[in-house]
Amino acid sequence: MSDKSPIERIKEASDHLRGTLKESLQDEITGAIREDDQAVVKFHGMYQQDDRDRREERAAKKLERLYTFMIRLRLPGGFLTPEQWIAVHDIAGENSTGVIKITSRQTLQLHGILKSNIKPTIHSFSQAKLDSIATCGDINRNVLCSSHPKESAIHGQVFAYADKISQLLMPKTKAYYEVWLDEEQLLDKKEEEDPLYQDRYLPRKFKIAIAIPPNNDVDVFANDIGLIAVIENDVLKGFNIAIGGGLSSTHGNAETYPRLATLIGFADTEEKVLKAVYEIATIQRDYGNRSDRKLARLKYTVDKYGIDWYKAELEKRTGFALAPVADYTFNSRKDHFGWHPNHEGLWYYTAFVENGRILDEGNIQLKTALLEIAKTGKANFRFTCNANVIISDVAEADKKEIDTLLATYGVARNTEVSSVIRKNAMACVAFPTCPLALAEAQRYLPSLIDKIEGLLQKNALGNEEIIIRMTGCPNGCARSYAAEIGFVGTAYGKYNMQLGGDRIGERLNKIYKENIEEPEILATLDTLFANYAANRNLHETFGDFSIRQKWVSA
Amino acid sequence: MNQNKNMLAGHKQQLLTELTAGASREELIWINGYIAALVSGNELPVTDDAVRVTTAQKITLVYGTETGNSKRVATDLAAKAKKKQLQVKLASLDQYRLTDLSREENLFVVISTQGDGEPPVAAQKFYDHIHKNGFRLDKTKFSVLALGDTSYPLFCKTGEEVDAQLEKLGGKRIVPIRKCDVDYENDADAWFEEILQSLNQQPVTHSAGVPVTVKADTKSNKKIYTGTIVGHVNLNDTGSDKETYHIELLADDVDYLPGDSIGIVPENPSAIVEQILTVSGADRNTIIAFKDASYSLFDLLKKKVAVIYLHERVVKKYASIVQQEIPEMKMDLLTLLQLYPLQNKEQFADVAAILPAQSPRIYTIASSPSAHDGEVHLTVEKYVFTVNDETKYGLCTDYLSGLSIDTQFDFFVQKNKRFRLPAADKNVLMIAKSTGIAAFRSFLSERDATGATGKNWLFFEEEKFTTDFLYQTELQDWYQTGVLNGISLAFSKDGAEPLYVQDKLRAHGKEVYAWMVSGGYVYVCGEKDPMSVEVEKELLSIIETHGGLAADKAKAYFEQLKEEGRYSKDVY
Repeated sequence: MSDKSPIERIKEASDHLRGTLKESLQDEITGAIREDDQAVVKFHGMYQQDDRDRREERAAKKLERLYTFMIRLRLPGGFLTPEQWIAVHDIAGENSTGVIKITSRQTLQLHGILKSNIKPTIHSFSQAKLDSIATCGDINRNVLCSSHPKESAIHGQVFAYADKISQLLMPKTKAYYEVWLDEEQLLDKKEEEDPLYQDRYLPRKFKIAIAIPPNNDVDVFANDIGLIAVIENDVLKGFNIAIGGGLSSTHGNAETYPRLATLIGFADTEEKVLKAVYEIATIQRDYGNRSDRKLARLKYTVDKYGIDWYKAELEKRTGFALAPVADYTFNSRKDHFGWHPNHEGLWYYTAFVENGRILDEGNIQLKTALLEIAKTGKANFRFTCNANVIISDVAEADKKEIDTLLATYGVARNTEVSSVIRKNAMACVAFPTCPLALAEAQRYLPSLIDKIEGLLQKNALGNEEIIIRMTGCPNGCARSYAAEIGFVGTAYGKYNMQLGGDRIGERLNKIYKENIEEPEILATLDTLFANYAANRNLHETFGDFSIRQKWVSA
Repeated sequence: MNQNKNMLAGHKQQLLTELTAGASREELIWINGYIAALVSGNELPVTDDAVRVTTAQKITLVYGTETGNSKRVATDLAAKAKKKQLQVKLASLDQYRLTDLSREENLFVVISTQGDGEPPVAAQKFYDHIHKNGFRLDKTKFSVLALGDTSYPLFCKTGEEVDAQLEKLGGKRIVPIRKCDVDYENDADAWFEEILQSLNQQPVTHSAGVPVTVKADTKSNKKIYTGTIVGHVNLNDTGSDKETYHIELLADDVDYLPGDSIGIVPENPSAIVEQILTVSGADRNTIIAFKDASYSLFDLLKKKVAVIYLHERVVKKYASIVQQEIPEMKMDLLTLLQLYPLQNKEQFADVAAILPAQSPRIYTIASSPSAHDGEVHLTVEKYVFTVNDETKYGLCTDYLSGLSIDTQFDFFVQKNKRFRLPAADKNVLMIAKSTGIAAFRSFLSERDATGATGKNWLFFEEEKFTTDFLYQTELQDWYQTGVLNGISLAFSKDGAEPLYVQDKLRAHGKEVYAWMVSGGYVYVCGEKDPMSVEVEKELLSIIETHGGLAADKAKAYFEQLKEEGRYSKDVY
């Protein structure tokens, strides 16, 4: 298979990601866009989806699938001003399902947008200085950065890199502005010549994260490029660079596998770091597999040519040698719930958002709370890689007002009373909108957690911060392979149970039981928890215990 | 071609010879009588283009798709087959009527396999159905194209299972199963080529439907058919303000042309009839004579006479029976009985005698005789209105929308000679709102089945795109296979400003005018007022604007269109 995959041909023929999107929007007979455009539109931050729950019934009614679009914002490091939050809130109410979803990559996405509402939606985003450029597709996606400013006195300095890298790896095409915002067509096509992406973009999605030790909340090793800030006495010394992470795999295809990134060295200056990031991308552009999309991520390029080759090629392209990896230590991978100050005395409240879904439900009026907080203009909003929200940068004097709002709308209580296991858990979207889903995830995990909480209580493990993650397919959006207990959907109602991941994201889990349903999941966990409670060493995590017990190999 | 000097075209002569050769004397007498009856009725097709094409092979191409690949393949193949003058019925398995299976002569299945070896969700019902016993496919020729992905262990498993099961049910496999990997295009073409070759070698066979005795309404001389409901679905999705039912009736030997309507005498709701009986105290089993026949009182009230919204004239007669002052206004029988009770229950016989016969309601047929042999399809919107803050439903639409599968009811065909498709090579421009689509579903089905070469352009108005786009997937299939050349849609409740079908006509005014002057035929079906009024205004304005004509000249041109039979409407 040396032929280019069909997607490669679509990219090249797309006239810098224009495709026939304008024509697709004019096709009044369907709520879908044309097939090739479904690949192109991803580069504009959108997926065409449909309500899979409704397929059968609509077919009987001689109606096509209920096509809608998901739009994902580009928010490097996951930051919004209060004005921007209000804009997103209003847009979500008008044109989408109303639920604002925090993703596992620190951004927001809206679901259920009809084809005819895409342009008004993007227009509104644009007025709030927001865009969705390159948040999906074979291109650098939203750049992550450790979200909580309390991690370091120089959090802001490191955080700025997310935006710099995002800008550095932005496509040069003006297609987004032409198609969605009706801007004038470029007369001089030279303006969008793209030395990085050329006309072929990358072979596959490309993810970058920046971690500030000792917290690995961004799951830095799950990315194509992982940057680990090295900080000494509140001075940024540079970044360790890791390459080749990626969690997606394909059931039944042994050539595919999840992989953690490999550290290749250290760069000390901003110029060097950015240069290295850029050239890691160009090597992947030139050497990545463009015939089989299942083998097209950077991790396969690294494993095909060898990590030493990749590093040597990188040094050749950058013109400088990387220094040896600097010391660093991760000791956690979590969000700091509740109020915490940063070094300057500004306050931050991390609120628990189950599965990242912001809505008003029962006593937990989270969506209203965030809107009311935004209206005060006294807090910014940050989103974490565990899909929670941090009410940010609150002055000491304003803390009480924010606190009252959090209490009034049930947010504080929900954050306090939810178990640690629930707060550490994460699930991908899956049914009904994700076309890849084989099994439920975010609609199902909360009820499974209810039952797991019972098992943990029974074994006196209620305060253990075990990381549980679920994905509805093997693509790993919720990073289920990097969990202590991972559930990967194989068919409706069935999951592979994965064990042995560590707590800090430096060891992946492995399959423990295949294709099991809820009764067996619960029976299995009950036995494992009992064993763990009885035989664990002091401070031994469940993931480490799983390895010591040889439930799976290390 | 072998020119035949007989009255009959070659294939018909052949059929007649086949039919009569081995027939017994009794059978010949029966056939003679049957044909004589046909001749004596004035229901025979009159124009050439209305003659049904019976020479073409009919094939049914069904697909079960998850990602859309099977649909793509099947749609492409259907388009190719149509070019070769085959009659193709193309259907997604989730829309395919499973009870049709045993009637299929040529069934070709394009189906994919899910990663875990299971059928696509859209094909699950079909898959389960063919794994049940209780029916045979002895006269069905079939073949299966299986799509799959060799990187999965259970490659094309569903296709293999369907193939084996169709054979088990008695089907004759005319081309072996072909299994395709992710690059399926060449395999699919080769598979279909083999089928076409195989079909060419097969003699054309016809399974003649068994003639049934057709009742005749003695007065109007209209044939009364009994239809059995085999399909019944609300086409509007959740969230719509409307309920529009697509109803499929099986009615052997029903004879109609695209553009015709059927008449149905609705039954009164049983609950109301029961209340009338209770309030009046009359005996439900009393036998009452009505128009040369006798019925029990219950049957009379339920099936024969009007009891709802009685005319002032009838109310007046009622008043004289019960000897009371009653305002002259339309009223329900039940209301009359409740407000102005009978003096004694025996009086009810007099009341029954004044009740007018239930009048038939007319619905435009949504099917085509060539595409839907032995069937009549209807598109019926449940009529909802409010009287004194009370929600009420149109009697007949409520009756039809509440019927279930296998229910039988009588109907007659109402010819509409002023609403006929033109010759096969003429262009047709169709303008419809809501249920007006029925006539054009019939037109398009007919033109598709007969391979008419003229172009077709549909203008259609409904309320909301996602919930009210009647027959969306069928129209999409026609658009993709080139039967429908243009489709212009107006959804009146989607935007901030309402958009109507006349607005779309205006937007395409130049092309619309070009279709008119190049000999195209224009049809309007659906709401009389305001839709058809506004459409006519718009058409006149288009003639003025794009024909450069003064108002009176434009009007004259429009009149000329009507005289030439190039502008027809079926509005209500």
